[in-house]
Amino acid sequence: MKSASTLSNAFLQPAGQALPAALLTLRFDRASALADLILPTRKTENWKYSAKHLKLTDDMASTLPMDASAEAGDYNSGYTVVMVNGVVRPDASNYPTLEGLSIQRFGDLSEDDASVAADMLSKSISDQPAKSGSVNMSQLNGARFEDGLLIQLQPGTVLDQPLFLIHHTTASHSGSAYPCILVAAGNNSQLTVVEDYVSSGDCSVMVNTTTEFSVGDGANVTSVRLNTEGQSVQHMGTTGVRQQRSSRFESHSVGFGSTLRRHDLHVRLEGEGAECKLNGVVVTQGTQHYDNHTTIEHVAANCNSEETYRNIAADKSHAVFNGRIHIHQDAQKSKANMSNKNLLLTSGAEIDTKPELEIYADDVLCAHGATIGQLDKQSIFYLVSRGLSPRDAKVLLTMAFINELVEQIPVEQVRDTAHTGLKQFFDQAFKEV
Amino acid sequence: MLSIKNLHASVEDKQILNGLNLEIKAGEVHAIMGPNGSGKSTLSQVLAGNEAFEVTEGEVTFNGDNLLDLATEERAREGIFLAFQYPVEIPGVSNLQFLRTSVNAMRKHNGIEDMNAAEFMKLAKEVSKQVDLDPAFLKRGVNEGFSGGEKKRNEIMQALLLKPKLAILDETDSGLDIDALKVVADGVNALRAPDRAILMITHYQRLLDHIVPDYVHVLSEGKIIKSGGPELALELEAKGYGWLGIDDQAAANHG
Ligand SMILES: Nc1ncnc2c1ncn2[C@@H]1O[C@H](COP(=O)(O)OP(=O)(O)OP(=O)(O)O)[C@@H](O)[C@H]1O
Ligand SMILES: [Mg+2]
Repeated sequence: MKSASTLSNAFLQPAGQALPAALLTLRFDRASALADLILPTRKTENWKYSAKHLKLTDDMASTLPMDASAEAGDYNSGYTVVMVNGVVRPDASNYPTLEGLSIQRFGDLSEDDASVAADMLSKSISDQPAKSGSVNMSQLNGARFEDGLLIQLQPGTVLDQPLFLIHHTTASHSGSAYPCILVAAGNNSQLTVVEDYVSSGDCSVMVNTTTEFSVGDGANVTSVRLNTEGQSVQHMGTTGVRQQRSSRFESHSVGFGSTLRRHDLHVRLEGEGAECKLNGVVVTQGTQHYDNHTTIEHVAANCNSEETYRNIAADKSHAVFNGRIHIHQDAQKSKANMSNKNLLLTSGAEIDTKPELEIYADDVLCAHGATIGQLDKQSIFYLVSRGLSPRDAKVLLTMAFINELVEQIPVEQVRDTAHTGLKQFFDQAFKEV
Repeated sequence: MLSIKNLHASVEDKQILNGLNLEIKAGEVHAIMGPNGSGKSTLSQVLAGNEAFEVTEGEVTFNGDNLLDLATEERAREGIFLAFQYPVEIPGVSNLQFLRTSVNAMRKHNGIEDMNAAEFMKLAKEVSKQVDLDPAFLKRGVNEGFSGGEKKRNEIMQALLLKPKLAILDETDSGLDIDALKVVADGVNALRAPDRAILMITHYQRLLDHIVPDYVHVLSEGKIIKSGGPELALELEAKGYGWLGIDDQAAANHG
């Protein structure tokens, strides 16, 4: 048997050099650190179910080139920044102009701003090498990004409409893309960011993303993440969030696309009175494999976290949810609530769920629950006995399972996309009747 | 309308119906009584098409068609309605959405175009008033958190909405307070029509005071062992089941 393999050298060669010195240094350090690490295997704790699906062959290593014809999607009404294969396409973007808001490409950053960006990246909570010493996907992003955005909101700035970041991956040949987004929301500022991951073409590609949010005192940030990429895409996403005093962060993620998707979401409640709400909806079919790993760290006292994830797996697909809540010693009066409900539509599908609680404070309210079930036969019979077709009955019941979360997505276009995607999912999943 | 001949049915390899015969004509109201566990709900579930129950022998025709050949939803669309003894709670599916999908499935079957949301809302409000349910219930999940009596009224409301040819009411009177019993009985009486038949399963004479049946049957161990007119129910009320030769244990469970 082959011994544990390391990341091929081809993966450690970033293409473009047009970046400020601070970011070039950081990127170089990341690549050096990665050279000795092994790739995750099923023995790597946080890759137990997903390692075998991860494909990091040499043909995936090269950076996908800019494609000037890549479509921006239908979000032309609002603020949009289009990134194609990890590189910003200014001509297709529609930047908001607002006092107190700056959106800059990494290549355009002043030395000062470049060190702000490098600092955010080097402090990124999700960027620490896994305890096991294996390659961490966000480190790989750090070793490879070509471009990226630093989005800064001055204190008190309120963005009146969502900012859409369209990440288009062109899979016309094999390769990978490494978009990197940094959002620094000053005290009492407000913004909603939509990350929409789409793709075209059907060659094997990997998109490896980093998104970092720094949420200042009293700031209110909402992140919406939509994954509708094609079936040849491996999606490796990492989102890191640091929240200060009395801030609020919401995450709404919806995924139907890509063949393999891994999303690591790590929220640190660092300031007293901060609160976060993390919602996730995942539907899988065919042989898709989705893996959501979330960590919520209650560092300061009096913080509140509310997490609700729902998976629905059809055909031979596989969904994994791993939810970790870590309540630090000083985080008294923490309130944490985690719920993960799962629905298996076929006997060939698989769902694995694992809540992990580490509680070091004594005065906390912490609740968690996870269930895996199937559509209830009695419920189907009840609906069908009223004349509904078995298919309509199943669609109603399946929709009921996630509707509450879909309706909470605060951006109408994304709700619409979610409904369309779900409809396609139902058409496919319940095609037999 | 409905003709049941020598019906045998089992659930999980347990034989429950053992050669049941019953004829119901349009316009008639039949009541079935019988001890707990005698197979009354099994009969109603078999007629509605619950696949958990297996028909092992016998035949059932509905308006001349072989009922047992029809899928559950086809039976419903042909006009069979079952008010469940235990209506199912379905959180997350709104009553309104469910009922509209149901009504439109029936309309489609009959070649009538869909009812739009506004039209439907109006109709749903009317029938909910008829069974004394606050229209706010329409917005809640199907039977979600409904009290026992509210669930039963919701069943009758559905019958009024769907206008079935054969309404099977499985203990729709159980667990109702006196006022609710009156409301449900009025609902059932409103369903009575020359082209419609009603099969009521009940343990109590008190329902039959409000809805006078044409026939009363006694079901025991999966068979109808006695049939008669409304006076049979009164006799059962007075004497229990023992005089019919039903073993005392089963009779003791009655009610
Ligand atoms: N799904 C099932 N699995 C196993 N046994 C069942 C099932 N459904 C019904 N039975 C059994 O079949 C028998 C008849 O049940 P049924 O519900 O038809 O009785 P019933 O006459 O409606 O009684 P009640 O008056 O209590 O409602 C009972 O012994 C019951 O336990
Ligand atoms: Mg019963």
